[in-house]
Amino acid sequence: MKLWGHYKISWLLAVTCLLVLCGMGAVAQTQAAPAPAATAAAPPPMATDAPLDLKPAGAPSTDDLVKGDPGGTKTGTANDVVVSDTKKGMTLADLINQVGQNRIGINFTWTLITGFLVMFMQAGFAIVETGLCRAKNANHTMMMNFMVYGFGLFAFWVCGFAIQMGGGAPYATLGGASSLNAEHVVTFMGKTWGVFGTHGFFLSGISYDVGVMVLFLFQMVFMDTALTIVTGSCAERWKYVAFAISSVFMGAITYPLFANWAWGGGWLSQLGANFGLGHGYADFAGSGVVHAVGGVTALALSLIIGPRIGKFTREGKPNAIPGHDIVIVLTGCFILAFGWFGFNPGSTLAASGNGALRISSVAVNTMLAGCTGSFGAVLYMWIRYGKPDASMSGNGLLAGLVAITAPSGFVSAVSSAIIGLIAGVLVCVSVEFVDRVLKVDDPVGAISVHGTNGLWGVLSVGLFADGTSNYGGSWNGVSGSVRGLFYGDASQLVAQLVGICTLVGGIFTLSYVSGWIMDLIIGQRSSAADELEGLDIPEMGALCYPEFVLKPEGLRVPAEVAAD
Amino acid sequence: MMKIVGIAMALLGWFIPVVSLPLTQSLSARFVASVLGLIISLVGILGVLNQAHLKEAIWKK
Repeated sequence: MKLWGHYKISWLLAVTCLLVLCGMGAVAQTQAAPAPAATAAAPPPMATDAPLDLKPAGAPSTDDLVKGDPGGTKTGTANDVVVSDTKKGMTLADLINQVGQNRIGINFTWTLITGFLVMFMQAGFAIVETGLCRAKNANHTMMMNFMVYGFGLFAFWVCGFAIQMGGGAPYATLGGASSLNAEHVVTFMGKTWGVFGTHGFFLSGISYDVGVMVLFLFQMVFMDTALTIVTGSCAERWKYVAFAISSVFMGAITYPLFANWAWGGGWLSQLGANFGLGHGYADFAGSGVVHAVGGVTALALSLIIGPRIGKFTREGKPNAIPGHDIVIVLTGCFILAFGWFGFNPGSTLAASGNGALRISSVAVNTMLAGCTGSFGAVLYMWIRYGKPDASMSGNGLLAGLVAITAPSGFVSAVSSAIIGLIAGVLVCVSVEFVDRVLKVDDPVGAISVHGTNGLWGVLSVGLFADGTSNYGGSWNGVSGSVRGLFYGDASQLVAQLVGICTLVGGIFTLSYVSGWIMDLIIGQRSSAADELEGLDIPEMGALCYPEFVLKPEGLRVPAEVAAD
Repeated sequence: MMKIVGIAMALLGWFIPVVSLPLTQSLSARFVASVLGLIISLVGILGVLNQAHLKEAIWKK
């Protein structure tokens, strides 16, 4: 009876959740049924013979200057249209050029501002990871997250951007960026395979272009997100110099290669055009490109570096090593959820034309999946351990957001909720699997949050994409909308599976081999003495919290016992 | 040696679906090749490679 009482609320919540989801499904079904044709509002009649009613375009009158324009009805007149020849006056060509530039201007502004939001996610990652680590390593963990921005940015500017995007032009929503038009291709078994771009090194020469700059900024902050995933899984025992070199390599080579294959016109994006597999590998905002690349690299380096001292007993039982500040962990999760509104909706690279108004749907999908992700994780932990674990709730939120990143532009709100809910449960199961079965030490759960759920996000495109999106009439050079297995296109699922195999087999191998070579040359792991003392003084030369009294390492309780 | 075998399996699991693309037009065959490749990669990484690392794990010393 006591056991029932203990779990009663958890089961009630689970049943409520299921009922809500069933209700959502029923609503979706109802909406899918053909509705009687509604009478659409008739458009206003065209007044073709009416005189052009322009707002006063001359200098403001004294009266206007005194009153101002509090209603906003006088600001923005024909006088503000740029005229090419003042003697001729305004022509139709001037008007059309202005409309075109306004559209690209809206897209530039949208892409830049969403890029700024994504940049702020670095702060979220920094405090999530630091909070989940022990206080004696806080300076070291924070400094990894701080400098990964600089190391990654530098490497991406030198060559990463060119490898990734140097052959994918035209980028129509940003005015073309036509200088990025040189993809290196190889011929294999009678087909051409795009491997890497070759224009855009140092953003110099013909790449000195406004559209290229917007694209660089947006892609750079995405790349940095992938890099910062690794710092979490390797925290508390990674030599700072090894971290620095590893981050530069990942920003220069590992990330850009896969990003080229998926987003820069490379071979994965051409699976549809070359082999008839749906619309090619489709990854709207980067569950695979950003998160799974970061996740599999995190796994590769975690294997090489090994677990922290004290993480496992001599019998191999995992010990719980709690973080030092759950407040900053959950604050960081909120910052990340906020930044994700840049990550996913910004990936349209447009807010005007080419179906870009779907940004509203993308934003809502993002919000919903994050919500159901945290919901799934809370329920799982509550049912399994009797308490709604705080750090796993945060990881559930992030897991939902990671999973919806790839499908966010292709799926409905109900599908987003389902994808997020599955991700929330999946992250808990994956954390336990990594900890207890694989015996791989991942202090922040990065492998599960970003790796496992990144792959789930990629797969979910091949299942849930509903064929309603329309970004300029085609995707990856294949006309029509992306459609998954549940909406009639099984070949899209195969394209997604090929992408998953590339991430797991190809990108993992590249990360592992490069990390292994680095381990042989400079060593990846800090000394045992430094690790026991905490890396703040040995690696960084200063404590993060100098006025704290740090507890010496004591006997730790195995996770199963702690859970009971 | 086990580490090299694990990495070789991971790579093999990637090549199988890639090579199957130009070899066959059949969607079922490509699907099977992809799933098979994924399983081989996962066994190589999580089974073989991870076991090789666990043999020299710090908590066993």
